[in-house]
Amino acid sequence: MKSIFIAAALFTAVSAFSQTAVNSSTFGMMEARWLGPGTMSGRITAIEGVARDGKTIYVGTAGGGIWKTTNAGASFKPVFDRYCQSIGALAIDPKNPKIIFAGTGESNMRNSVSIGDGIYKSTDAGENWTKLGLDKSEHIAKIVIHPQQTDIIYVAVPGALWSSSKDRGLYKSVNGGKTFEQILFISDEAGCADVSVDPEHPDTVYASTWEFRRKPYSFNSGGNGSGMWKSTDGGKTWRELKNGLPAKPFGRIAFTLAPSAPQHMVAIVEAAETGLYISADGGENWKKQSATMNVVSRPFYFSTIVIDPKDPKRVYRPAFSFAYSNDGGYSFAEASNEGGWVHSDHHALWINPNNTNQMYLGTDGGVYYSLDRGATWNFVQGLPVGQFYHAAVDDRKPYNIYGGLQDNGSWTGPSAAPGGVSNANWKSLYGGDGFWVQPDPADINTVYAEYQGGNISRINLISKKAVNIKPQQAPGEEKLRWNWNTPIVLGAANKKNLYMASQYLYKSIDQGRNWNRISPDLTTNDKKKQEQENSGGLSADVTSAENHCTIFTLAESPLDEKLIWVGTDDGNLQYTTDGGKTWTNVAAHYAKAGIPAQTWVSSIEASRFDRNVVYATFDNHMYGDHKTYLATSNDMGKTWKQLTSGEFTGFAHKIRQDLVNKDLLFLGTEMGLFASTDGGQQWFRMKNKIPEYVLARDIQIHPRTHDLVIATHGRGILIVDDISPIRNLKKETAEKDVVLFPMAPVTLTMGQFGDGGFPGTGGWVSGNPPAVPPIKYYLKDRVNSGEVKVDIFDATGKLVQSIPGAKRKGVNMVSWNLSMKPPKVASGGTKIDFSGFLAPMVLPGDYTIKLKVADSVYTTKVKLVHDPSDKNFTLEDRKKQYKAATDLYQLHERLAAVVDTINDRQKMLKENMAKVTDSSLKKSMQSYHDELEKLRTECLASKQKSLFVDEKKLREEITEVYSGVTGQEAAPSNLQLQRITTLQAEVKKKEEEQKQVLKKYDVWVKDRLRQEGVTGPKEKKGF
Amino acid sequence: MKRLILSFLFAAAAFSVQAQTAEEIVSKHIEAIGGADNWRKVNSVKMEGILQANGADVSVTVTVLHGKGMRQDISVMGMNGYEFVTPTEGWSFMPFQGQQQPEPKTAEDLAESQDKLDAQGSLIDYAKKGHTLEYLGKEDVEGTECFKIKIIKKGGSPETIFIDPKSFYVLQSKSTVKANGQEVEVVTSYSNYEKLTEGIVVSKSMTLPFGELNLTKVEINGTVDEAIFKK
Repeated sequence: MKSIFIAAALFTAVSAFSQTAVNSSTFGMMEARWLGPGTMSGRITAIEGVARDGKTIYVGTAGGGIWKTTNAGASFKPVFDRYCQSIGALAIDPKNPKIIFAGTGESNMRNSVSIGDGIYKSTDAGENWTKLGLDKSEHIAKIVIHPQQTDIIYVAVPGALWSSSKDRGLYKSVNGGKTFEQILFISDEAGCADVSVDPEHPDTVYASTWEFRRKPYSFNSGGNGSGMWKSTDGGKTWRELKNGLPAKPFGRIAFTLAPSAPQHMVAIVEAAETGLYISADGGENWKKQSATMNVVSRPFYFSTIVIDPKDPKRVYRPAFSFAYSNDGGYSFAEASNEGGWVHSDHHALWINPNNTNQMYLGTDGGVYYSLDRGATWNFVQGLPVGQFYHAAVDDRKPYNIYGGLQDNGSWTGPSAAPGGVSNANWKSLYGGDGFWVQPDPADINTVYAEYQGGNISRINLISKKAVNIKPQQAPGEEKLRWNWNTPIVLGAANKKNLYMASQYLYKSIDQGRNWNRISPDLTTNDKKKQEQENSGGLSADVTSAENHCTIFTLAESPLDEKLIWVGTDDGNLQYTTDGGKTWTNVAAHYAKAGIPAQTWVSSIEASRFDRNVVYATFDNHMYGDHKTYLATSNDMGKTWKQLTSGEFTGFAHKIRQDLVNKDLLFLGTEMGLFASTDGGQQWFRMKNKIPEYVLARDIQIHPRTHDLVIATHGRGILIVDDISPIRNLKKETAEKDVVLFPMAPVTLTMGQFGDGGFPGTGGWVSGNPPAVPPIKYYLKDRVNSGEVKVDIFDATGKLVQSIPGAKRKGVNMVSWNLSMKPPKVASGGTKIDFSGFLAPMVLPGDYTIKLKVADSVYTTKVKLVHDPSDKNFTLEDRKKQYKAATDLYQLHERLAAVVDTINDRQKMLKENMAKVTDSSLKKSMQSYHDELEKLRTECLASKQKSLFVDEKKLREEITEVYSGVTGQEAAPSNLQLQRITTLQAEVKKKEEEQKQVLKKYDVWVKDRLRQEGVTGPKEKKGF
Repeated sequence: MKRLILSFLFAAAAFSVQAQTAEEIVSKHIEAIGGADNWRKVNSVKMEGILQANGADVSVTVTVLHGKGMRQDISVMGMNGYEFVTPTEGWSFMPFQGQQQPEPKTAEDLAESQDKLDAQGSLIDYAKKGHTLEYLGKEDVEGTECFKIKIIKKGGSPETIFIDPKSFYVLQSKSTVKANGQEVEVVTSYSNYEKLTEGIVVSKSMTLPFGELNLTKVEINGTVDEAIFKK
């Protein structure tokens, strides 16, 4: 009894402690940049649009959540980032388009398919979501809403892919999703794959059931549980439809009815001979039609068939490619590639019911839209939902990221680019499904990439020519077994070592020209798990996706190239300490820590701090077990300890230890990215613009920039720039209210890139990392009261800049552009003079940063240095440029003073003019005003009649030279300097002229005003 | 025994969830910012501040006369622009955006802008004003787990506010502004809360998408010449 209370108290203490300890909020402004790209996008699983406006469209993705556009696809934003990212189905209430249902867990049951956690509802057009239930559904294929009584909803749940389940079948809600009833259940093995409601007789409901199962080494689609069903009482009773359909067993059935003539139905029935069937009487009788391979191919993966909302004869079959029929499905034609290639493998189609020429197609490579009923297609470039499997980085400046994606080949793109990283910056390297890509650290023009089943090539980055370097079976060896996602790994200790693996481990030290097999078969070599030729069920599907008893992951110790770890998909975890001569299997040891045997070893991290320390992740979801398995050993695998956390969700893909702080760990799972700063005792979910349930497949830390690079399976590449503040954050530091971090010397620069010039023309563009290291500080809590400000002083104590400070909890960043405060420019005129936004960059030297947080001040120093390697801009050049820029700066301020005085007097004259009765005084005042006005209009541009009339007066003349000199990283030219001298003379002239005018009128006018009993404005000091 | 404790814990948890209604959170918020009585006395607000954008200072003055008018003056390097709204008309003149002369607000913009005439903020007597509240659970706002509340306004677009459970101040608001047939989401973060002599607490620092506005002066119930709400 007492112990329970102590436990409860302890629990409270721990959770209280973990609140003040480091967590996601500690990262503060260190938020992820979404690199995308949008150029290859990713698998789309559901598209629904608002019929009323035809431009509000929701896109459900395989691993990137839900994206919404309100402009027919010109731009998108994600609306489901706090929830499960795998979307199976979407539905919009036809009466109230703000009500949206989202079923998680896509039902394109490929080997890499993710898993959902139920159905969600939004009542405000996607802004907020509530989970309704069906938590154990795992996969949802379709949601259909009753056309009139929109509280009635049908949900087709195929259910679990990797295990038996009672939570499958057809569900119905009669109260808008508050509760669901299972209204069609076949068996633990067969779920519901499709559902339709007759819009004219909504009690008539059709459903197809599907028996299917995946194992790690095989796939089966088909069984007696599959069938075609009809109910005429809203799902109370069901009757199986058989007339004219082929002999059972069936596999997956995709079907639809014509919304404008619901008796007309088409179905693709997977059977011994898969075929296309048509019914003209509401499914009572079916007739087989001849169909192309495309129309009937891969039913488990291509389960979409749609009939035009208005025209019952127009049938669409998005499948491997896009097919359409004009005669109710008797014959099909294929979409043209006239408007560009359309990515293969289609899963979703939305047709605007009010304009049936307009439609949106979801493929394995993003969304396309058509304005001509699907004959030609345009690619939507702004959806960054690529499904990376792995990522690697190189050491160029800026560094590049490399990676392979589901059905989208292998790509490389820069971490920064002029104007931001856009689709155009990404380059395709290799085809097929992409997985591992490794840039050769010793040869900057060489990269290794692969497509499924171990088909590796050495690719020249300039010519993009590829040389196949796949190791071949040697005499006396068993047939080579390559994983779908075959590891290609570079040595962590010796970068020249290139590894790849089938059931054997291969090593090359000459870029794959020659390979040495350095292991025996390291798998269990269980023959029962090697019958892939029979995979698929009713439809053969042999793609290497089910290859098993293969090596899946490997790692060379950063401390010793002879120490290599290998993990297999059938549970073996082996190491060698002699470069492969002898191997030790530690599978039995990790099992003792509670990790199931035969688990897929998904990643291994050999510590760079201690050769005996190793971390590994284990993925057992293919046996229906979704737990997060992460374990570590500090005795070379003899004993293991599981690292666990209540925060963990999703099966584990990747463990990464920081390069500097051994206690900083990152874990990527199917449902989130997690971090620990204490060696794995406590973990927190990473947020900060990282979707909370992101499919985090791979993690890299860049050794030079300290960036965290995350390869996601649905959100492309995410980068958290420079994680060193977290790396260096000590627990006691985190307990302090405010910490201003010390700054390393900063090289003076106007940025990494020039302006580029041409604005972006759409597509996905991610921001760049900061060009100048920001000033960083830590706040234990958000500052709600009092000011936060950063002041920068030069070595003489002069205030150079003052910047409002961020006030977030965690790490805050303030960008100083290394410049002074912009000059005060002559005010008024017809245009904003942008000199008012421009300031000379300061000179190298020591500067003091003062952070003011409410009443406290924190101080640190920063040394600004000139880059001596820049031959085009020497220190001498810099000094000359600074001198010229500050000379011009002063000219602006002097001219501003002249104009201020003019404005001041003009204001006084205008205010008093009406009060004056004496006509001679009035006349003088008018002359005074006019002479000032003449002078003013010589000082700055005052006329503007159109956008392209650039009136140029003295202010604008100064700006031309000032903006040139201030913005250049070069010494001023001879003519720039000459111009400054001229302008100095002109400003002096204006100062003189202004004095003359004042001398002529000012005292006299003011005296007269006083005599008139009118009080003028107060005299300004110094004039 | 264990089960008993557990069920007690669950009951407690359920109770605390239930306790967080929108009404209660908002009433705590109103207490935190000075109480409804003090806010009800507010008839006019004049705020002056500096917006730092791209290193340059933009001076901003906002004047609200409760229920009668709102005017905003913006000055950038001697170039002056303004916007005002009354119950019946609205005009804007933003020469920095290339406008040559003042332009009237469209009927839609005018309707959307009516909330700006509320000098007390929409939460004071929200029910009387015809607004309703919806509690949407907790959500992380820049690292602080906040209460999320949607204000469904009588006119205009709904606004979502995020209230800090410690201070009960609003840390952030999100609204969708409809303009020219487009929807733009505006996110504003609030800080530098300060208690004024009138007993009310106001945010003197607002982070907008294009910069931070720091108020230098806040005047409550000063005289407002209604002539400023005319073109």
